[in-house]
Amino acid sequence: MSDHTALLAQAQEQVQASDSLDALKGIEREYLGKEGRLAELLAQIPTLPQDERPTAGREANRLKQAIVEAVEVKRAELAEAGIAAERSGDGFDPTLPPPRTERGSLHPITQVTRELEDLFQSMGYSVLDGPEVELDYYNFEALNVPADHPARDSHDTFFCEGDGHLLMRTHTSPSQIRAMESFEPPFRVIAPGKCFRHETTDASHDHTFHQMEGLVVDREISVAHLIGAMKTLLRGIFHRDLEIRLRPGFFPFVEPGFELDARCPFCENGCSVCKKTTWIELLPCGLVHPNVLRAGGLDPEEWGGFAFGLGLSRLVMLRHDIDDVRHLLANDVRFLEQF
Amino acid sequence: MLISYRWLQRHVDLSGISPEQLCNDLTLSTAEVEGLEPFAPQLTDVVVGHVVTREKHPDADSLSVCRVDVQGEQTTESDLLTIVCGAPNVEAGQKVAVATVGTVLPGDFKIKKSKIRGVASFGMICSARELGIGEDHDGIWVLPDSAPVGQTVAKALEIDDSVIEIDNKSLTHRPDLWGHRGIAGEVAAIYGRPLKPLSLDWPELGQEAPFPVHIDSTACSRYLALPIDGAVAEPSPAWLQWLLLAVDQRPIDCIVDLSNFVMLDLGQPNHTFDRNVLAPEGIHVRMARSEETLQTLDGEERTLTENDLLICTGEKPVALAGIMGGESSKVGDDTRSLLLEVASFDAVTVRRTSAHLSLRTDSSTRFEKSLSPTLPDQAAAYFARLLSELQPNVRFPSPTTDLGDWQDPAFTLALRPERVRADLGAKIPDSEIISILERLGFEISHEGDSLKVSVPSARATKDIRIERDLIEEVGRIHRYDSIAEENMLASVKPPPHDERRLLVRAIQDALAGGARFNETVGYTFIDDALLEKLAMQDLPHVQIQNPVIQAETHVRRTVIPNLLGALETNRRLHEEIRLFEVGKGYLPEKTNERGEPTELHLAGLVWASPPPLAKASFNENRFSQLHGVVHTLLNQLKVKDFVWRSAASVPSWAHPAKALEAVCDPEGEVLAVVAPLDPGLNAGLGLDGDLSSDVAIAEISLDALLAAPHRASHYQAVPKYPGIKVDVAISLAEDTSAQSVEEVIQQAAKAQLAGVELFDVYRGENLGEGRKSLAYHVLLQSENKTLSDKDEQKFLRRFEKMIEGIGGELRKG
Repeated sequence: MSDHTALLAQAQEQVQASDSLDALKGIEREYLGKEGRLAELLAQIPTLPQDERPTAGREANRLKQAIVEAVEVKRAELAEAGIAAERSGDGFDPTLPPPRTERGSLHPITQVTRELEDLFQSMGYSVLDGPEVELDYYNFEALNVPADHPARDSHDTFFCEGDGHLLMRTHTSPSQIRAMESFEPPFRVIAPGKCFRHETTDASHDHTFHQMEGLVVDREISVAHLIGAMKTLLRGIFHRDLEIRLRPGFFPFVEPGFELDARCPFCENGCSVCKKTTWIELLPCGLVHPNVLRAGGLDPEEWGGFAFGLGLSRLVMLRHDIDDVRHLLANDVRFLEQF
Repeated sequence: MLISYRWLQRHVDLSGISPEQLCNDLTLSTAEVEGLEPFAPQLTDVVVGHVVTREKHPDADSLSVCRVDVQGEQTTESDLLTIVCGAPNVEAGQKVAVATVGTVLPGDFKIKKSKIRGVASFGMICSARELGIGEDHDGIWVLPDSAPVGQTVAKALEIDDSVIEIDNKSLTHRPDLWGHRGIAGEVAAIYGRPLKPLSLDWPELGQEAPFPVHIDSTACSRYLALPIDGAVAEPSPAWLQWLLLAVDQRPIDCIVDLSNFVMLDLGQPNHTFDRNVLAPEGIHVRMARSEETLQTLDGEERTLTENDLLICTGEKPVALAGIMGGESSKVGDDTRSLLLEVASFDAVTVRRTSAHLSLRTDSSTRFEKSLSPTLPDQAAAYFARLLSELQPNVRFPSPTTDLGDWQDPAFTLALRPERVRADLGAKIPDSEIISILERLGFEISHEGDSLKVSVPSARATKDIRIERDLIEEVGRIHRYDSIAEENMLASVKPPPHDERRLLVRAIQDALAGGARFNETVGYTFIDDALLEKLAMQDLPHVQIQNPVIQAETHVRRTVIPNLLGALETNRRLHEEIRLFEVGKGYLPEKTNERGEPTELHLAGLVWASPPPLAKASFNENRFSQLHGVVHTLLNQLKVKDFVWRSAASVPSWAHPAKALEAVCDPEGEVLAVVAPLDPGLNAGLGLDGDLSSDVAIAEISLDALLAAPHRASHYQAVPKYPGIKVDVAISLAEDTSAQSVEEVIQQAAKAQLAGVELFDVYRGENLGEGRKSLAYHVLLQSENKTLSDKDEQKFLRRFEKMIEGIGGELRKG
């Protein structure tokens, strides 16, 4: 009997002293396992005299019960202590940096183009695509710039080898004629894309750049409508109202033609972007020249329209404070991954 | 073009209008003013001094010690400045330009008190060159005696001026604005002030026989010749020199200066010949003969073509019409007898010649704008009158020769005031419309509801053609910034569904998103050297005739060269590079009926990293991974039933044996090509050695994708019963394809097959020579029940038997 008491006391002491679930499991095995001490005890029972056996069995079971209970209590205690230890956050360094998660990126020209496409589409404009290698007819002839017109000089054209009819488009304006050929009036269309000018490259000029043409054809279109549409457009781009002014600008495919200046959105009293004038030259625009409407198969007495051109490369540079246009097409990953 | 504010005042009263105001108003009504600078600001910093005494420097023969009065009235002896001067021409009594201590001269040259050979000097007596207003450095600049001492030189000489720079591009369409008189006309119209009359009366002309001229080309519509005798090539008077200096023209001598003045005032170029070198038969205007040569005034020998117009005397060319005179007939210092030429040359002819000779002059710039043929006699009379005023001894021995087949371009146009208001969207009354046009020199009469507008000759050559041109005239003087905005009254329809643009966006989003690629935008021109590195130099390319960079003559066929070029630049900085571009390529070998090359709309991808480790698993290479990216993309784009196969035609950049292509229809367009970079190209691209790389490339055709059949987007029921995953490994002959194994799996699994995934490729001695092992996860599933071990066993038994049919052996254990 006293053997049992001692065994229990020993077990309880060991259970109490165990400091981990693993240790506890070891103790459990030692006493309660298949070949544990209790099993030993139980194995002795059949060797006892017949009449002692029931009592011995009961005693052994009671002993086992007591050990099981002690183990369970301890196990609960240890589990709780374990959670408490986890929750204490010991050794946690809140300044440890997060691991780098790689991501892809959309080119800033794509981002600005999309933004404008979405803006214009919400105002009922379709988006038109046009070829970069263009026919002289669309780039000049149909736009009221016949051969030998002095305006061709300012276009600094890249010509393609061949019979002289192919060139790299110098602006997105060829899309005006292409739009008139493919849409029934009235319509509104924008045409973003790459353009080319034969110029020496520097921080503010690249021979390849992006523009977006806009064209509205409808009945009874006036300069006042053009002003209204441009103000709406600038509100969409800069997210606020900007004062604008139109002044004469010469583009053979519009008459009258304008340069649109907006109050510099970056300063109040003059800054480097506006060259201290508080105005920035934002976009050329004008009423579509009757000859251009005719080239597009429309009767200028019945239909009118206005057109405008947005410098996408320039908008991207303004948007992100990019000081050198050559970054845009250099495809340096260190540049691309910033967007 | 430069315009002098003071010069403008010869033609219109500018009182009360500051140069700044004028520039602003010109910008808003006429043409863009690019700059406004004070003329010779240094002349407002130097003052008129009076040299009271001049003595020789005690220690230097070439130096003078002057006592100079720079205060004027009430100067005392002690106020005089001592200035040491090195000029040979300095004399007592002269009025001179003095830079006092503290003045800064051009070149950031600050005048300081100094000691010159022991004598203290308090300033500098300046030469014209030191003041940046001339070349004369032989001595100091002596001012007229009338100059008031102590005043700034600019004020004393009445040459305070502002120089306005107008953007030439904004004058392309205005031949009439290439002179001060023309700009003054705009100013007069803007402010409603009268234009001062210009005296164009001829001086007395003699009665000798007119100078003989023969015009032999339609490119010269008018030729006016005026012989001049007794002209002297002396310096021009100060007023003329100052005006020329203000617009950056170097004064030469009276004759050259007047010629320039007339051009810069009226906009009509003109030329003077030495009449002594002209043949007795006079002037012959004709087209040049091929390979004919002429030495122009700038000393260059010019080789001409049949399209260049020449001024000749006898057979000998003496000028390139409308562009530049010839060296041989140049007016020299001793020339007394001249011939003045004022002519009308065809704009296109002048423009072409000027372009092919790369010779642009003030004259050609004006002629190519289409000047009015009514101008020559005005300009000639102006020149003759001014010359006879400057040199009263000049004689004009004969009347002008004035020939040519010209017609006054003036014409009339109908203008509907209603249309003016409708087009501008502004309620401008008839009276204002009429007033504006009249101020601009148009004459108006009424004709029913519309106006009859006479277009003056100077505006009628090109600029004003149609009613809309007149509407612009009204609009710009009325001022566009005074027109109020108005909203368009139009129904807004949703734009048509734009498949292509949606496809571009879907591709960009998928690649920049989940696939983690950086989007690039590349140049359309490809460097010749890069094409060579990619073995693409022999493919047909659209070629540029006049590249900016000599080696960039090729228009790209595909976006791949840009991406591989970008690898070259980025490889040193990044281990892992994933780039894509959606862009255009052009094929000159296939053109449409209008001669346009075929345009390809493409997406290109490149994925590069260091080579995989030896123990990397079979699909840990960029080719497999890029294949996966493109495969997933095609699935995401819902392309229906596409399959991969060995590429039928391998692009030059692709590994010749490993290129794969995706097609929907075996006979149809290729949707995409994926391949490792041809290993032969690595070294050329700098991707060997330390930068040795595992590079995979893909090219996707957007045109083929748009044409391909697409899956309808139907949802599939989520399986009711769980499936079982069975792994099989098969030992096979090396040349047995994975596809044939998968076909067997399909047959063995029958309808229960829910998924197959290759997860290992193994080669080892235990398999035997020429054999490999492929291992698959096979997912079996039924719609009716949960599958059991028995089903798995059945499948395996069938599979084991069937795989033997292709020489395979199911590996166990």
